[in-house]
Parts: sequence; C-alpha cells; structure tokens
Amino acid sequence: MRKILLVCLTAVLSLACADLKAQERTITGHVTSQEDGSELPGVNVVIKGTTNGSVTDQNGAYALVVPTGSEVLVFTFIGLKSQEVNIGGKSVVDVSMELDVSQLTEVVITAGGLHSRSRELGSANTIVNPETLTSGKAVNVAAGLQGKVAGFQINATSSGVNPEYRLILRGQRSMTGNNQALVVLDNVIVPNSVLSNMNMNDVESINVLQGAGAAALYGSQASNGAVIITTKKGKAGKTDITLSHNVQLQQVAFFPKIQKKFGSGGSAYGTDPAGYGEFNYLENQSYGAPFDGSNRPLGPPLEDGSQLYTTYNYKPGHNEFWKIGVTNQTDFSLSSGDDKSTFYISGQYVAVTGTTPGDKFERGNIRINGSRKLGDKLLVTYVTSYAPNKYDITSGTGAIYTNMLNMPSNVDITQFKDWRNNKFANPNGFYNPWYLNPYFTADTQRQLDKNAYLTGNLELTFTPIPGLDIIARQGISNRSYTQKQSIEGFKYSDYAKQTDQSSKTDIPATVGETSNQSTQLVSDLIVQYDKKLGDFNVNVVGGGQLIENNGRYLAVATSGLVVDNLYNLGNGTGNPFYVENTFKQRLVGAYGKVTLGFKDYLFLTGTARNDWDSRLNPDNRSFFYPSAEASVLLSEAVPSIKESRIISYLKVRGGISKTGLVNLGGLTQFPGSFSDYGAYYLKPTFSSNLNGFPYGSLAGYSVDGTLVSDVLQPELTHGYEFGFDMNFFDDRINTNVTYFHTRTDNQTVTTLLSNSTGFGALLTNIGETQAKGLELTLNVTPVRTDNWTVSVGGNYTYLENRVTEISDILPQLSLGTSGNAISAAVAGQSFPVIMGLDYERDPAGHVIVDKVTGQPTSTSSNVILGNATPKNRIGANAVVSFKGLRFSVLFEYRGGYSVFNGMGPEMDWSGTGYRTAQYDRRSFVFPNSVYLSDDGNTYVENKTVTIANGNGNNGFWSDGINRNTTSNYVTSGDFVKLREISLSWEIPASFITKTKVLKGAQISLQGRNLFLWMAKDNYYTDPEYSSTGSTGNGTGLNDIGQTPPTRNFGGTLSLRF
Amino acid sequence: MKNRVSIILTCVVIAVLGSSCNDYLDINTNPNKATAVQAQLVLPQALAATANSLDVYNTYGSQIGGYAANAGGYGGFNETVSYAYTPNNYAGNWPLAYDNLEDYQYIINQTADDELNIHFHAVAKIMRVYNFQLLVDAYNDVPFTEALQGVAFLTPAYDNAASIYASLATELDDAMTEIVTGNGLVGKNDIDNYDILFGGDMDSWMKLANTIKLRLLIRGNGKVTFANTSFNSIGFLTNDALINPSYTRDNSRQNPAWDTWGFAYTGSAGNKAWIPTTFILTFYDGTKLNDPGRGSAMYFDFPNTGTNQLGYESTGIPKSPDGSFWYPGSERDGKVAGDTTGVLKGPDAGYPMFTAAESYFLQAEASVVGLATPATGTTQELFEAGIEASFKYLYQLPDGSQAGDYEEDAADYIASNNNKLVQFNLALSQAEQIEAIITQKYIALNMVNSHEGWNEYRRTGYPSVFGRGAKTTFASIASQSSRPDFLPSRILYPTSEIQYNSANVPEGVGSFSSLIFWAK
Repeated sequence: MRKILLVCLTAVLSLACADLKAQERTITGHVTSQEDGSELPGVNVVIKGTTNGSVTDQNGAYALVVPTGSEVLVFTFIGLKSQEVNIGGKSVVDVSMELDVSQLTEVVITAGGLHSRSRELGSANTIVNPETLTSGKAVNVAAGLQGKVAGFQINATSSGVNPEYRLILRGQRSMTGNNQALVVLDNVIVPNSVLSNMNMNDVESINVLQGAGAAALYGSQASNGAVIITTKKGKAGKTDITLSHNVQLQQVAFFPKIQKKFGSGGSAYGTDPAGYGEFNYLENQSYGAPFDGSNRPLGPPLEDGSQLYTTYNYKPGHNEFWKIGVTNQTDFSLSSGDDKSTFYISGQYVAVTGTTPGDKFERGNIRINGSRKLGDKLLVTYVTSYAPNKYDITSGTGAIYTNMLNMPSNVDITQFKDWRNNKFANPNGFYNPWYLNPYFTADTQRQLDKNAYLTGNLELTFTPIPGLDIIARQGISNRSYTQKQSIEGFKYSDYAKQTDQSSKTDIPATVGETSNQSTQLVSDLIVQYDKKLGDFNVNVVGGGQLIENNGRYLAVATSGLVVDNLYNLGNGTGNPFYVENTFKQRLVGAYGKVTLGFKDYLFLTGTARNDWDSRLNPDNRSFFYPSAEASVLLSEAVPSIKESRIISYLKVRGGISKTGLVNLGGLTQFPGSFSDYGAYYLKPTFSSNLNGFPYGSLAGYSVDGTLVSDVLQPELTHGYEFGFDMNFFDDRINTNVTYFHTRTDNQTVTTLLSNSTGFGALLTNIGETQAKGLELTLNVTPVRTDNWTVSVGGNYTYLENRVTEISDILPQLSLGTSGNAISAAVAGQSFPVIMGLDYERDPAGHVIVDKVTGQPTSTSSNVILGNATPKNRIGANAVVSFKGLRFSVLFEYRGGYSVFNGMGPEMDWSGTGYRTAQYDRRSFVFPNSVYLSDDGNTYVENKTVTIANGNGNNGFWSDGINRNTTSNYVTSGDFVKLREISLSWEIPASFITKTKVLKGAQISLQGRNLFLWMAKDNYYTDPEYSSTGSTGNGTGLNDIGQTPPTRNFGGTLSLRF
Repeated sequence: MKNRVSIILTCVVIAVLGSSCNDYLDINTNPNKATAVQAQLVLPQALAATANSLDVYNTYGSQIGGYAANAGGYGGFNETVSYAYTPNNYAGNWPLAYDNLEDYQYIINQTADDELNIHFHAVAKIMRVYNFQLLVDAYNDVPFTEALQGVAFLTPAYDNAASIYASLATELDDAMTEIVTGNGLVGKNDIDNYDILFGGDMDSWMKLANTIKLRLLIRGNGKVTFANTSFNSIGFLTNDALINPSYTRDNSRQNPAWDTWGFAYTGSAGNKAWIPTTFILTFYDGTKLNDPGRGSAMYFDFPNTGTNQLGYESTGIPKSPDGSFWYPGSERDGKVAGDTTGVLKGPDAGYPMFTAAESYFLQAEASVVGLATPATGTTQELFEAGIEASFKYLYQLPDGSQAGDYEEDAADYIASNNNKLVQFNLALSQAEQIEAIITQKYIALNMVNSHEGWNEYRRTGYPSVFGRGAKTTFASIASQSSRPDFLPSRILYPTSEIQYNSANVPEGVGSFSSLIFWAK
C-alpha cells in the first residue's frame, strides 16, 4: 500500500515537474564513501554559484531541484575532499567522496575540542597521525612523539620499566614553574603521566599546538602549548576488529667508559716499588696495583676460614648484572557504528620485565568510546578509559648502579647472585663491607606500586538551529595510587661486624605505605555559532569553564619490624613516620573567540579569556589575556599563485598572544611526585613533627624554610609568531616555516637562599625570560606511484632560550643541583646554564698550578660552565613503501649545549673513572698549565712541575681538587640517536581472503634508540637524562642514581577481522 | 553535571557583570600545616634543634680537634684527613645553626612588644647569642646585622667577627635585664612548661647568660671593645645545662649523640667509622696523665680502648665495636644498651649545651688574666671545681644519679697526678696556668662539646702538640697543612653561601691561612 502511494506521489511530482520542465529539473543520487563504500549522511549538495542546495539523508540520498542553466553541483563534507560534478543532462548523479588528506581543507581538532579547518589557523600546529606515532611501537605516547614535531623537545629523563618523559614546546618560559606542555585527552586535561599509561593504538590523531594559541580555550595551563590527543570513535556502517601482539626486548646500552687497568687498593696502603698504589683485598677504590692476571683474594677470609680468590684482571661481569628486559603487549579493538551511533572499545595488556633483576611491570587498559544521536538536534558523546598498572620493582636501583660504578673491574658480580645460599654472596661474607651485594639489594629492597587512571568525558551537543551548537561537557581524570615499600632486615654475625668488615651494621626491617588520590574535574559550557554572510563567514564561540583539582596524600612508615617477613605497619616499633596532606584548587574561566573568514581564504581570529584562580589572593586572582591571529591562503587569493603549477598550497600566518599562568607549587617532594596544585602557597607554615616532637604532651613547632608572599601575581607570557606553509608540485613537497618569540615576565620563582636569611627558599615574582626560535618542517615525496612511495623529511628547531632579567638582589637562581654543579637561571645568559667550580686560569685560559706542587686550585666561586638547552635540534625521517612493505627510519640530533655528568666525580673517587688512568696513575704535569713566575706578574708554561701523587685513595684523582672541580665533568651534550627504525609487511589480500575471517594482517619489526652517538668528551651517559626528573627546570645535570640507557627492539603481528 | 553547569552559568554571568565567585574560590586555607603558631610553642622545638645541631658541631670538633680518628674498616676520608677542605666539608654546620636561629628569631619577633611573654623573649635572645657564637667561632665573619630578616635582606652582608662579639655581649645584658623585669611582673607567662633546658628556672637562665658572656669576653679579650665588661652578680653556671625534651629509645626521639654514635632505636649500630685518637688517650692511660676514673667512665675496654692517629689508613687499625668506644657499657645489644656513665650514657640522657666544668675553667682563666668577675673562689679552687664538675658529669647516669663517688675520684686524680697540668700549684707562670686550665678543659670537653675544645686550642695553642707522632700531636699524618702544627686553621664557607650569597661571601679564605679573629 505504501509503495503504491509512493508511486502515485512520484507520478504527481513528475507531472508537476514536467510542467516546469522548461525552467528546472530534479536531480537525485547517492553519496558514498570511497574508502569503504558506506553511505554518507549529512553531505552538503549545493548548486555552484548559489546558496541553493540540499543535504543527504540517512541513506546518503539526496534530491535537488536544479534550475536551467545550472551545470555544476558541489558536494562538501568535513574531512572529505569537496567534489564538483558536471551534471550535464543526467538526472541521477551518484558521487563517491574520498578522504581529504591534504592540508588544504584538513579538519583538525583544536582547542576546546572544536573542529577547525587547517587553513583557518594562524598559529603553528603539527598533526601526528597514528601511523607515524606508532611506527616504532613505543609503549609510551611521549616516546612515540620524540623527534617528530618541530619545536617539541621530549626527553626521557630516566630509564626503568616505565620511564618518565619531559615535554617542552618552544623552550622553557617559567624559571621555576611548570614548563611542560598541557596534555589534553579527548577534551579532558590530564596529567602527563597518563601518556605513559594509555594505549597508543587508541589514538586517532595528535595535534601539537606549538604556541600559546590554545590558551584562550584551555586556560592558563595551555600557555606552554598543548598536545591534543583524540582517540578513535567507531565508524558508521562498518565493524572492525583488530588484534595484535608485540614483543620487545630491552637491552642496557651505553655504559660509561671506565679504566680497565687497575684494581682495588690505593696509595693510602702504601706504594709498590714501581710507584703504584698497593693492592688491598677489601678496598673498593680501584687505585691499587695494575692488573696482572694473578690469583688474588677478594675480601677477607670468612668465619669458617674459607677465602674467595679471583683473577686480578678486567672482567666485563659488571655489565652482565643487567638483564634483557622483555615487553609483551597485546591489543584488541572493536569499532562499529550505524547511522545513529558509533562505538569503539579496546583493551590492552602490557607486561614488562625490567633490566634490573626482579623488576616487573604490568599495565592494562580498557577504553569505551561512543556517540549517539538523539533526534536530530542532540548528540551525546562519551569517552572513558580505565588504566590500572602495577610495578613490582626494587627501590634500590639507584644504589645498585652507584655500587656497580664503584666496583673494581676485576670483580665479576654475577657470581654473587645466590646470596641466600652462597656464603661469599651472603651479606656476612660479601667481599665489600661498604656496599651491599646488588643482588641482595634488588631482592630485599622492594617497592610495590599500584596505579589506576580513570579518564572520561561526557559531552552533549545541542543544535537547535543549523549553525548554532551548544556544548556541555564534563570531564574527569582520576589517579588512585598506592605504594608499599619494604626492606628486609639483616642481622650480621659478630664475626662480620668485628673483623676487617666492621663497617657492616645490622639492617632493620622497614615497611611503608603511601596512598594518593587525585582528581581533576573540568566542566565546560560552550556556545558556538557559525554564519555565512555573503563572502564573509563568522564563527563565534563563547564559553565558561570550571576546573577543580583535589588531591589527598597519606604516608606511614615504620621500622624495626619485630616478626620476620611480616611487612605490616602494625609490626613496627617506635614512633612511626606519618604525613597527611590534602590539596584543593579551583579555577573559573570565561572566554570568547571570534573567527572571521573572507572568501574562504582570509581568516582573522581573536580570543579573550579571563581566569579567576583560587590560589591567589582575592585582589590578584583575576587575570585577563587576549590573543589575535590571522591567516591568508595566498594560493587561493592570488590568481597567479593559484594557477601556478609549482606551488600547490601557500598559506601565510601569524599571531600575537598574551597568556597568564599561576605558577605555584606543582610537584611536591613526596615519593611518587604528587601534585599539590600550587595550593596554600601564600602563607608561611610551621612544622610540628621535627626533632621527635611531640614528646608525649610536649608539642613543639618550627618555622618552615620557605619565605612566602601573599601578593603573588600570575606570570605573563607575551608571544608572537609568524610563518608560512607552502607545498609544491601537487603537495609532493611540503614545507612549514615558523618564527616564534615569547617573553615571560612577572615570574613566580622559588629560589634557594643563603641560610643566613633564616630561610632556605623564597617564593616571589621577579625576572623575565625569553625564547625565540625557528621551526622548519620539510617533507618530500619524490616517488608516489601505485606501488611505490618514497618520502623523506625532517624538522629542524633553532632555539635561543635566555633569561633576560632577574633582580638586582638575586642575580641568579638555582634551579637544580647535582653534586657540585647547579643548573641556574642567570640574567643575560642562556636558560638554564650549568654553573660550578672551575680551575683558576690565566687570561689565556690555561690552568694555573702551584710552582712547587704542580697542583691547580679551584675557583672560590661558581662560574658559568655551559648552556644546558640544545640550540639546534633535527629530526630526520625516511619512509619507503612498496606495495605492502613499509620501511621507516627516524634519527634525532641535538647540539649546541652542555651537560654535567654526576657520575663523574663518583667514578673518579672510586678509581673506575676513565680519566683517572689517563696518566697511568703516575705523577704528571697538569695539561695546558702555567705557573706564576718569580716576578709575580707573568705566567710561565708548565712543562716540568708535576703533581707528585698521581694515584688516588689519598692522591690527586680522588682528592677534592679533582672531584669538586665541576668543570671536569661538564661535557658537550650533543648526540645523534637512531630513534626509530621499522619494517612492516601488510600481508597481501590474496593470502588473507582465503581465510574468510581475516580482513588484513601485518607483520612488523621495530627498533628504538638502537644507536647513540655522543660527543667525544662525553663518555658517561645519555645527555637526555636529568637529575631533576621530568618536572624540574634545572636541566643539564644528571646523577649517578639513573640506570644506564636502554635500546629496544622487537616485532609485532596484527590482525584485522 | 547539571549542578556544575549551573555553577558555570552563574559564575560566568557574575564574572561578566564584574564581580567574582569568591565563595567558590575562597578555598585556599591550608588544611595541612599551621600557618601561625604561638611563640611559646616554638621554644621547645628550637631548644631540641639546638641539641641536634650541637651533636653535629661536636662531631666536627672531634674530628678536627683531636678527639676522634678514622677507624679500621673504612677508607676514603680524603679532606677530612688531608685538611685540604673544600666548601663541601662540614657544610652542614652553617644551615643547622642559622635554621635554628630563625626559630629563636621568630620568638623574639613575636614577643617583642608583648610584655607578658618577656621571659620567652629573653631566653630566645640568650639562645640567639649562643648560636651566633657557634657560627663566629667556626667561620669568623658571618652575616649578623642583616641576617634572619627574611625578605628585607635576601643576600645578607657579612659582619666583622669582633663586632659581632661586642653586639652579642650587649644582647646578653639586655636579656638578663628582661629576665629581672619579668620576675617582678604579675600575670606574665611562665616558660616552665616549654623550657626543656632549665624547667623554667630563671636564675639558671641568668647564670647561663652570664657564662656565655664570660666566654665571649675571654675569647674577645684584647680584641673586642665590649660596651660593658661587668657581670651580673648572680654568678655563673654551677650545674650542667642539659637539653632534654624527654629523650627516649624511639624513632627520632633519642639523645642525638647516642643516636649518632651509639645505636639507632631499632638496635642497629650507629657510626662506626671513628674511634678515639691515640693522642687523647694519653691523658687517661698514664702516658701523660693517669685518669682511670674518667677513662673507664667514658671509654669501652679502657685502658685497652682501640685508638688511631688521624689519617692513618691501613689494615690493622682497630675497628669500632657496635655502639662505639664512647659507649662504655658491656651490654652491647642495641635494643637494650644504655644507662651508663660517660659521654653517651644512653638514649634518654640530656644533651649538654654548656657544662659546669667549662663554666669553672672559664672562671679560672678569668681569674688568671684578671678579668673582673663576681667572687667565686681562688683560681685553684675554680680549676679544681672544673675537674670535679667534669667527673660529676661523666659519672652521671641518664637519670641524673651518680654511678660513683665523683668527689673522691676527682680528689684522687688530682692527688695522684704529680703534674702541673693537674696540680695547679705546680703551674707557676701565667702561661703554665693557662696551659693547665685549657688542657683540663680540653679533657673535660672530650666528646661533650668537642668543638669548644678545638676553639680553645686555636685560641691558646693548648693542649701542647709537637712533631708528627701519634702521642704528641693530634694532627693527621696525611695533613697537607702548611702550618707549623700541621693542623688546619678553619673550615671554609659552605657551598650554599658560594651559590646563593656569592656577592658577600668573603674571598680568599683558606683552610690553612685564615684565622678566626681570636686565634693564634
């Protein structure tokens, strides 16, 4: 019946049309996706040159009445290439639309989760697609971004089962505050640690907003730039299942260079006839006699009279302590959708065994994303992810590594593995009384961490009339953390305590518990209105935002456990250590954004935002910051360029911005680095639990060491940037060039003070920093045929990061310390610089030595020893693909900076340091030295006056003059890394289709950080490391507690169903 | 969700209208720590911190001043035995004293115009002087007038050491005046419940102030112009000033010296890297003097106590027993050890901040050099009172009772040592008298306040040392010192000053060439 009705109706309509045939006709058709053949709803169909048009329905069908004379229909849809179709005499026009991969109309998700077309953006941004991100199969998203984005410096600041990364865009702005880029996951601001706990395969795209342009919509937290991560949603009409497994091996690489000629002993034990330090079976300083291969005792005799012997020669056994780590990663995902809803679920399980014996790490991840249309005016989108992880590791890795670097190289440590049964490996009999057997440490100092990250976002988009969107959004990110630390006790035998090894003292059993809950709630209300008025297009956004951060931290520890192997707080003795902290911070933001487009090639955008922040005094808590940017598409606006066969795309852009940022607090001193959100910094505090207080009913308080001010203001960053994007030869050559400049004043600074002020630190607003630089990206695709694609590309960043001003009273600020070196902000210098002691030098730079002793002297105050921020960085990549085979490689170079190697002084102290044997442990003339002549005016080149004791353990190399002279350990930080290399093979469809189940399969091999080439003078460790961790601004220093860097390699099989 | 949307709307509307959401944002009150406390509550903590700081100064004094040498089984002493100090050596002395001073300064500032708390003001002042003297005696010129003023002076200038001494003496006079004023004040707040040094006995505080002033005047004699060289008639300390907040065998609640050298509350041994010097034992074991009473009261295994000469690192050097040679008890199980005589006594013993012995020896020296003090006895009486007070302190058990007859043993000691270092009437010249007084003081301060023994050595040159032998000098055999006694003259300003106060920290300070202003 219905069908009949329809036929009738059509007939009537046809008749009506027939009548009008002289003037107009009806065109019908279907629009489908070229990618998968699905029908596309919502596609705009417009008669070219008019505003008349229609929209495809849920089945992708449209019907349009076209007047005579109209020849061309234009089909447009966000994310797809627009098509113009000549209708000729046709009455049915079916169109298949293809994905738009060129920049021209690329739609990006930008600040606030709003969609913009790339052409509208006036500031630099870089899109990283999933293929580029995951090619090296890094487990961590931050690692996957390394070297891939101009202006983005990502440092792995440590190693371990789940390393930390520091994310810095366009240099550092804040001297002591947070400089890391904001991470936004599906419109929810999340802590950076989420990057190391999310499933990289869930990533749909990453948009790195290099400049502060995002700040208006994300608020002050985005003034350091933002990394906007969007996860996958399902696609309509298509169900996909993928399953993959990846295995990676992790191998410790790049050990520091050590001397291999001398073993235990030193000149404190006397010197042998040849002038070398005497051998000693106990000594851990390697300043003894040269190796001679003879059998020598190792450690003193044990209580039963037995004695361990070892050959006195270099053994590589040290390095064999570290195991090959294995990472197993299994991924599953399912995506589906229909015309009303989409659905994506994924799961991941990662299991890691570390390079330190006994270290284990596990991580799971579940994600459910989806959307549902309710009627045609309301869209509900939800994303949720739950990611628990578990570390079962030793808390003694730093101590273990220190121990290994100290160990004489004739000791083969692997023989001491079975410490519970081997009497020479047992603490009672272990040869070295000052350092624990590393296997014992790894076994008895344990740490069990459990984290659970929950992130989610619920978004309602209401579209009452076309062009008007009202978006309400509630995001949450929560981390729940518990840690249990334990130390197994050990009671030494009386023999061990009273012989040569008397420094052995009982180890009390200890247990500690820590827990942390931190939650961020972000609520947004956004109104967006889009309107086309002739040649003009106006887009207006207004919004309000509430951010609330809550953190709660509890820790209790107790020692002297009574019952063996019972690691419970109730099993302790004495006054336990305890701390409780709660933090809360809120922010209210109101913002607006107006984008004006003219003829779709000229765009002007203005933003404004005001924040009210609970952390500041009511008089200062409100701050306002505006920005403006413009972009013009010359390749469309200028006819000569438009017609050019060489230039396929040219956009010129620029922007200016001011952003405010409340830079207080951040990560606290607690283990596990919890944020205090900068709350409660305006008032001085008092401690009640120092020096054993309270004693019964007797309480006692102490003034805390930080001087505070309640008139703190936000930091203000003024920035501008300009640049262009230019493509040649049908987009075969893409270039982006951006110059940027930022100036940050009113810095909120916590600086260390002379204790004579009565305080140790000061929190105040002073100083100004500046960063300027150039970002270049170039991609060339010389070959692009059906079978072959070859592309090479790279990015280059030049960065000049300076401190322009601090204050008269505090000409320098210490930002980080390692040994005798500080990383400091110094007015007029690069930001930061490494400072420390140097040798006294003559005006020509030669070291001045004493005329009699040949000994140099240290400067009496710190001098600048190098700049810690790389001036030049290059990421270079190449991709070659042939049919289903794809090979890619990525190198990263950083240069033009220095690094202080904190392990250097320790290695020289212990005599394993390579430097210590450079004069064969003989008396030597200090190189390039001079001494003051008798007249007291001129310096004479020193060729004869030698340093008498060229040994250590009471001698030059272990003495303070060598070890405390910081400049001895400041080296170039330049390096080239083979960051990623991968080879993948997409198994041909002809094989796959036979299975009838599989839609696709891929096998790939990857390697990460396989090779590291460092500057010649740096034989210590990876210059990316930082002793201030991922959050400290005092970069350029590393320390001995950081385990050696690793290289990763492995393979992946992935299947699509 | 709905609720938050309405908050946003409300806030945005209000914000746009020019007001702000103060209620929503007024949440910056610290729930974790006190942001203001009564000055009284700071006093007990500050006094306990002084004891902790003194333990570190005692360690420094014992190593540099001849009381302790490196033990067997350890190595890598480097600058500690070569004396080629860098700014890192003993760098902790500086912040400990200044951090502690800030607490006293807080009490002083908070009670400045608060007459009812005048006694808190006065005792904080006395402790301020005490700590500043510690600093001057270790570092010579230090920040003083611009120190402890927070934001007002972020890089405090250094004051001349002698002028600091003059100011400190005046501050003590002021404090004593305040105590007297307070004594007559009705309704004032007593310090009794907060005073873990004298339990609120203001006469003892007066005596302490007087005695500190005596030490300032004696060290500054002839080098400092003091405004007022007279003393309060109340006299000087006759009892040991011991800080004790109720120390007990518990985590961070032990007597600091016991915790450092004896045993941790868990029973693990303390620092075993140091043992007595051969030099100091000669004053007990009969080599120079015979002192079996104090020797066995303070040393384990006396007279066979293991010793070493500083800087001698080789196999065969005696090892430290668990709990150290300074714990004389035979009960060596760390969980029950303690309750003995000597310098460590036990986990619950009070910490000596000024001993009666030092007070008497200062008075004796004042008497010799003719410094006008309230009449307390002849020089010899004061000298012998000093020896007796030392016996009394060392014989004392943690609970304050005596483990032996200190009066008899002190008398025996004096009678049996026919030596001008013991029998005062044998010391004829003024130089000999000073040598006797300072040497006895050096013995009395052994591991009690070792830094004061080191200060007095540098000021007077006593006890006499010569040569390089283990029994004749306490100088390290690894000494790199260019001085005739092969000893250093001082430690250097700490790294933190070089880093954070570089414009003011004195240049050209050397550990062999620079002297504290009162030093020889």
